[in-house]
Amino acid sequence: MFQSGELTLKRQKDSIRHLARNPLQFSLALIIGLSLVLFIVVPIIYVLARSLGAAEGVITLEYFQNFFDRSYYYRALSNSLILAFTVTSIVVTLCFMYAYLVARMHSRLIATILRSIAMVPLLAPPFIFSISLITLGGRRGLISQLLASLFGIEFSIYGWTGVILAQIIGLFPLGFMMLENVLRSMDLNLEEASSDMGAGQWKTLLGITIPLVMPGILKAGLLVFIKSIADFATPMVIGGGLPFLATDAYLLVVGQHNMEMAAVLATFLVLPTMIIFFIQNYVLTDKTRTTISGQSGVTSQIKMHRSIRGIFTVSSILSAILIVLAFGVIFWSAFVVIPGVNNTFTLDHFSTRTGWSAMGTSLQIAAISAFIVAFLGVIQAYLNVRMKIYGSRIMEYIALFGMGVPGTVVGIGYILAFNQPPLHLTGTMTIIIISMVLRHLGVGLEAGISKLHQIGINMEEASWDMGASKVLTFFRVVLPLMGSSFMYGFIYTFMCAMTSISAAIFLVYPGTTLGAVYILQVAEQGAISRAAAMALVLISIVALCLFTLTKLISRTHLARM
Amino acid sequence: MSEEPILQVKDVVKKFGPVTALSGVSIDVHRGEIVCFLGPSGCGKTTLLRVIGGFYSQDRGDTYLDGKLINGIPPEKRDTVMFFQNYALFPHMNVYENVTYGLKVRKYRKAEMAEKAREILTMIQLDGMEGRYPNQLSGGQQQRVALARALILNPKLLLLDEPLSNLDANLRAYMRDEIIKIREKLNLTIIFVTHDQEEAISIADKIAVMREGDIEQIGTPLHIYRYPASIYVADFLGSANFLDAEVINTDDKGNSEINTNIGKMKINLTMNKFKPGDRGKAILRPENIKVSLNEPADKSSKGNVLEAEILKGTYLGATIMYEVKIDNEVLTVEIRNPKENELLAPGDQVYLQIPENIHLIEEDESKNTASQ
Repeated sequence: MFQSGELTLKRQKDSIRHLARNPLQFSLALIIGLSLVLFIVVPIIYVLARSLGAAEGVITLEYFQNFFDRSYYYRALSNSLILAFTVTSIVVTLCFMYAYLVARMHSRLIATILRSIAMVPLLAPPFIFSISLITLGGRRGLISQLLASLFGIEFSIYGWTGVILAQIIGLFPLGFMMLENVLRSMDLNLEEASSDMGAGQWKTLLGITIPLVMPGILKAGLLVFIKSIADFATPMVIGGGLPFLATDAYLLVVGQHNMEMAAVLATFLVLPTMIIFFIQNYVLTDKTRTTISGQSGVTSQIKMHRSIRGIFTVSSILSAILIVLAFGVIFWSAFVVIPGVNNTFTLDHFSTRTGWSAMGTSLQIAAISAFIVAFLGVIQAYLNVRMKIYGSRIMEYIALFGMGVPGTVVGIGYILAFNQPPLHLTGTMTIIIISMVLRHLGVGLEAGISKLHQIGINMEEASWDMGASKVLTFFRVVLPLMGSSFMYGFIYTFMCAMTSISAAIFLVYPGTTLGAVYILQVAEQGAISRAAAMALVLISIVALCLFTLTKLISRTHLARM
Repeated sequence: MSEEPILQVKDVVKKFGPVTALSGVSIDVHRGEIVCFLGPSGCGKTTLLRVIGGFYSQDRGDTYLDGKLINGIPPEKRDTVMFFQNYALFPHMNVYENVTYGLKVRKYRKAEMAEKAREILTMIQLDGMEGRYPNQLSGGQQQRVALARALILNPKLLLLDEPLSNLDANLRAYMRDEIIKIREKLNLTIIFVTHDQEEAISIADKIAVMREGDIEQIGTPLHIYRYPASIYVADFLGSANFLDAEVINTDDKGNSEINTNIGKMKINLTMNKFKPGDRGKAILRPENIKVSLNEPADKSSKGNVLEAEILKGTYLGATIMYEVKIDNEVLTVEIRNPKENELLAPGDQVYLQIPENIHLIEEDESKNTASQ
């Protein structure tokens, strides 16, 4: 990994000379690099500067002083941290048990069903589950009424219970995906060897499996943590007025136009991301242990110990029920007049022109952003891996960092940075697309990089050898071979762009709104059924597009690569 | 071998969905033996090993270890230890922790554990490596750690899954000797699985040749090579020429005459009982056939002497492989230690000497059809 200084210098010189000779590559690299800096780094700098009083032209800690003086904001910080810790530990625990069960299960069918259930929340904006929870446990909710009539208990989901539950459901897919991945890639012979040596299954689980997948568990935990802290919509809908960093940052901007305090809150939001990003890239990578080589090829047939299976199954069934229930309730609320009060079938909730046009806008923006991310991802990956351009590593880091920055911070940063010349972009669709692209470029890039490493350079060399230029080779050989990573980048960005809300809500302008933003707005006004109906539309659109795209991939040659 | 076998496998059936991996396997393994399951991939050899180790549970049939029924007993409660093909060393534990893992699970006292570890690591020449992690070891060292980890538990049965397949030629020879030495020192019973006939012949006391989920033949390497029970076995261990044959006459000592596509031949029928008129397959090992340019002087003492024509000769260094033609039959002949400048040219007329100890097997339709 580490090159000597001389080598690095030589490489720099080489790549500079190389770039000078390839104006196309040079300009591409320059454009991507500049965009990354301009749309990821600069907005964050604006936020930090504003929190330190940049608007008045002085550097002051006054706003931070205010933050700590007022217990309300101080509590927002501690609430956000408590929430993130709680949700992360619950999600990681539940997901580990769920993923372990799915990964080690003998029945393929049940595993597929369980996996699908765990992944469905991806189809919807995460705050959607607050709507279901309100229908169930709100003041007039089904469960609340039941509890009141049976035991005379007054139950309300608003507040901690609601926020935690909603975030667990919303973040479940993220934790599950990562943990299933690491559990599957683990060499099962290691577990078998442990039991062969006489260790019981609990001992094997605690002494072999968990230590070996620990890097994966930590990584999943960090991601869930970032997402939980950055989520401003869930506390807004179901938080019952409790202060949280992201939510209050939003309210400060939209309600009071207090940019300074919003910037302070945003600073506290972005700090954990920075710390976690550092941990992930420097601490975790060094500690990951490589498993000793060897193909095992055999599937484990060892029966899970009764106590492990019992506990894991019960917890996983509960998780699955929670997810299915949350989705079922959205479905049901969308089609009845007032859920639980007047259960007559109706389609009224679907008749909203604003809602439908918002969906259309979303679709447009998501498709455009997804295409740009997929394409730029391939190009940047190519420049990174094959051209070995100086600074490509930094560009990669910025792109990855951009994915982790809370949307609220990006939103505030964009408002601060781009609402005046020279770049007056607020109030346009362009800036929404830019925010979507830059926040997901990392995915396209990583997919491209791993694909390129997998392809190997031989095929390109063969193409040059037969007389094709580099540009021609890129379009005729590299691009087709990278089809699968292109599609991956596209699908991921599309899904995120359809469902994400945090940055977009700052950037929508009068007359134009996005699907997810519209749903949040009506939910906030208490029109739960309308929100549910439009959420259903959004989920259907995402599911349909996903279905078509995956079908398209498996039909074409892309599936085989 | 009047003693009770240490392992008895009786009629074991194992299915994976629609695929039958083991179709009623039975085998006895005696104390101190090295037994090898030999066969191509997909023959069920690894499945059988994993059933014995407790990693798979059979659908039917019984397994006994030391006289006790062990059906359904999980690996951690069986007195067998598996040596995995990829070693399955725990990457987060160093050599000492890996080796003593089984003792620790069994709650041995620290001093005792250290004593046993020292003993086994010295024996396997890994002393001084206790603190290293698996990824700091060479392939051969990793393998020895895996072996030490298995041996320290003093199992009744050591199961080796393709123990030599991941090694280069030098290490292979070293490891082979090591396994044999360890058996002698510890009087272990070892079962190992391989698809490599040389490995099987050089290590095993007994070879069980497996095919399509069952054991086709079991015996000493010598016996199986010399008297294969089927074309499949003859083909898998070494190579062979097969000739359709019919018994013409036979006396009570087994001295017989058979008729084949390449003419009449005298053979000794000692292993199988044949009557005149019975049909079978004669198995001719390429290295048992001799080739000479001149007609041998005393024909009657040289077994069967036949005239043939060279079709093709391939020089392989230590040997030369010839394809020769007799009538319409093509035979493969292997000449060991060829003299210099002795490569015969296509078209050369030669004399083949085929000894009388040709092995004749019954023609069994069901077993012969699949062995292409």
